[in-house]
Amino acid sequence: MIGRVIVTPRAKPSPLVRAGVPLLSLLVALASGAVILVLTGADPIEVYRTMFDASLNGTAPIERTLTYATPLILTGLAAAIAFRMRVYNIGAEGQLFIGAIAASGLALKLPSTTPKFVMVAVMLLGGAVAGALWAGFAALPKAFFGTDEIVTTLMLNFVALAFMNYLIFGSYSFWRDPSRPVPQGNAIPDSAVLPTISGRLHVGFLIAVALAVSVWLLVRGTTFGFRLRTIGDSPRAARYAGIGVPVATIAVFAISGALAGVAGAIEVSGVTNRLDPKALAIELGYTGIVIATVARMHPLGVLPVAVLLAAVATSGSSMQAIGVQSEVVVLLQGLIFLSVTAGEFFVTNRLGLRPVPRGGPSEPVEALADAGDVPDAADSLRASVGGAL
Amino acid sequence: MDATGVKGDDTRAVSLQVRDLSKSFYGVAAVDEVSFDLVSGEIHGLLGENGAGKSTLCSMLAGLYRPDSGRMLLDGQTVHLRSPEDAATLGIGMVYQHFRLVERFTVAENIVLGRGIGVGRQARRDVERRVHELGEEYGLAVDASRAVWQLSVGERQRVEILKQLFRGARVLILDEPTAVLAPHESDRLFEAVRRMADAGHAVVLVSHKMQEILGHTDRVTVLRRGRNVGSGETAAQTHAALAAMMFGSELAGVGSDVEHSSRSPGPTVLKVSDLRVTGDHGRAAVDGVSFEVRRFQIVGVAGVAGNGQRELHEALAGLRSGVTGSIEIDGHDLSGAGPKARHRAGLAYVPEDRLGTGLAAGLTIEHNMVLRSFDRAPHSAAGRLKARAIRETSGRLVQEFDVRGARDGMPVSFMSGGNLQKAILARELTEDHEVLVAASPTRGLDMSAAETVRGHVRRERSTGRGVLLFSEDLAEVLELSDVVLVMFKGLIVGRFERDDVDVEHVGLLMTGASVTGDEVHRGHEDNQSGIRHRKVSL
Repeated sequence: MIGRVIVTPRAKPSPLVRAGVPLLSLLVALASGAVILVLTGADPIEVYRTMFDASLNGTAPIERTLTYATPLILTGLAAAIAFRMRVYNIGAEGQLFIGAIAASGLALKLPSTTPKFVMVAVMLLGGAVAGALWAGFAALPKAFFGTDEIVTTLMLNFVALAFMNYLIFGSYSFWRDPSRPVPQGNAIPDSAVLPTISGRLHVGFLIAVALAVSVWLLVRGTTFGFRLRTIGDSPRAARYAGIGVPVATIAVFAISGALAGVAGAIEVSGVTNRLDPKALAIELGYTGIVIATVARMHPLGVLPVAVLLAAVATSGSSMQAIGVQSEVVVLLQGLIFLSVTAGEFFVTNRLGLRPVPRGGPSEPVEALADAGDVPDAADSLRASVGGAL
Repeated sequence: MDATGVKGDDTRAVSLQVRDLSKSFYGVAAVDEVSFDLVSGEIHGLLGENGAGKSTLCSMLAGLYRPDSGRMLLDGQTVHLRSPEDAATLGIGMVYQHFRLVERFTVAENIVLGRGIGVGRQARRDVERRVHELGEEYGLAVDASRAVWQLSVGERQRVEILKQLFRGARVLILDEPTAVLAPHESDRLFEAVRRMADAGHAVVLVSHKMQEILGHTDRVTVLRRGRNVGSGETAAQTHAALAAMMFGSELAGVGSDVEHSSRSPGPTVLKVSDLRVTGDHGRAAVDGVSFEVRRFQIVGVAGVAGNGQRELHEALAGLRSGVTGSIEIDGHDLSGAGPKARHRAGLAYVPEDRLGTGLAAGLTIEHNMVLRSFDRAPHSAAGRLKARAIRETSGRLVQEFDVRGARDGMPVSFMSGGNLQKAILARELTEDHEVLVAASPTRGLDMSAAETVRGHVRRERSTGRGVLLFSEDLAEVLELSDVVLVMFKGLIVGRFERDDVDVEHVGLLMTGASVTGDEVHRGHEDNQSGIRHRKVSL
């Protein structure tokens, strides 16, 4: 068997491996991107430098990147916490729209003299509650009848989108600016606009970071998080431990929906300043799923991934200046995610050319592959999947 | 592959000789120098308890596992099977307990899957016609154009068999084929199997059901603990002789020479009355059982797997729905209570399935050690986990129960079976439990780990707890138990006090020898008085 590649699950990847492999994957993605760029006649170094300049080099680019990253952090968190418990809420998109509708509605309804702090707090809270309630339409059937949440949450996205479009484009609703012939949302009062930190970057970014830390602490340090992790790892063990799976399902749906709803509220309050379907329906919710996946459902992992993605995305417009199609950035995003996700295999597994001696903490996968008679061995394969937190 | 060659091949005579085949997993011999012969026209029964090595042996015949040593001769030629494809090419086909079918594909598509046969309309029609012919010939009729998801379990099994016949299998291995079938479907299956044998196929029928072996095989080979303990013409065997081979005659001595609690049992701690449990297939898996477990007492439940034991202990733990009857612990009725309330009432439970039920496989030892108590002081307060207290508890339990191989941040699934079991025991055997329900606690463990686990079970008894022990290892049940209950088809068909355990009798009851009505316990009134031993009529 010498010369054969043996895959061994890592019992516990070292911090070096955990940080090093994704970085290496990023380099691999940039290198393969460079090959494609050369083939299309572009200068990869120029492209990468332009991208860097446009997204991360200097105050204004960083502000733009972090502003763009803010809703992505929140939708990434929404996906991460739900997927971790094997609740596949892909409805952050719709929950975000509903959050935005609620927040803009509240901003227009409340007297414009309301103090900014109160106004913004009410908007964010309203967005969260609305997002959670919208998620409830999928959560209750899932918890009590086992309805497939992937289908329901996806469908609800279209309902939410249609509803938002109707409010602006299909009717003279409360949200629409009556003074303009072209359909447009009513501008929210100044008191409803999020304060900025620097340039265009608004306080919403800090709120998103704080929420990421909160979600992390929630999962890690509370009994609720304990339940969630147990269910996510093994629903049977959870039942055995007396953990009520339906209640936890509803709770995690509500949290997930609330995070997406807050994302909608922050976008309205910090960026669009009105209910603007065109600016909101840019697949922030779906992108959150990708972010959560790359971040391995880790709430803090969502932060760098969202920023990285935002950096690549915001640099798209700068490509035209050097005569490169802006779609190049989409290609790069794809390569990065492919590479980082595939690199995960090397975080959870070790490759070698010979089997490790028996009796070690782990056995080669080859030996486990069909060991149906050894009940505990086959399961250890699963171990490499979970346990990220 | 010439698909039209199927019908020509399958009547050629075939013989398979197995010589000294061995296979170990992690140093434990699953099959140990087994030899047997198989010839055309016979149905050869492979009988043994769960874990006797039947499935491992068959997996080697089918090319799924490679033997560590030994030979296989097909028609006198030594063959080396590197894969199931090799086996299929040589005409050896296996029908697994768990079907390997693509639900969305039609029967015909499943049958030709991976055969490189064209998907054109004509090819499809040819395949369907041939499947139809094979079905007619062997009494395995199934509509080849239907999708598999539309078929019943029995029909799916027919598809699996047809798949092997279509591929020209001359040696057919059926692994526990009746485990999933209703009785009338089983009869129909055996008719088909007989037709195959008559047509010149050699059939291996794997079973732990005595009646099937006695009723439907020509020859039988009995495996016990990986070894061939007897082969011969089925007609020359009796139920009793086979049972003795299956369970081992050395068991006769067990029960008298092993230390056991000298004190008489205390008050009743677990009382089960007329418990009925609906099984996963919607039929009654436990059909009205009543018994008691008293303090200072180990009650062992003997039985061949699949006779309702799993449903019974899961029902006791509160993990099943569809349960009627009553369950009391120390006089408190817990019939409607969930797993948590039962645990609080003093029920410790060691499930069969260590990783996945007993432990959350992907989480750490610390997490698992407080799986039952994370939401109480000192492990949490006001919804916040107390990391230090959890670490202390975990560290203490790990040390007390000598759990080895756990590391910080490492999923428990990387630990060995023995250590996993010790971890579960450490968590379950807290100070305030009253009764332990343990399901196959030593299964798959090496000797020393198994002995450690048994030591814990004995300690339960000596500290005044009651123990209800489920095990497929009869020797273990007899060694540990003060009272032995025998389960068969969801009923308790026998109850023995330690001093008058009759091993032969237990073996017969386990394998379903018909017994007089008095021995079938439905009510609990018999339990106190013990059971009058009747002669068993075969």
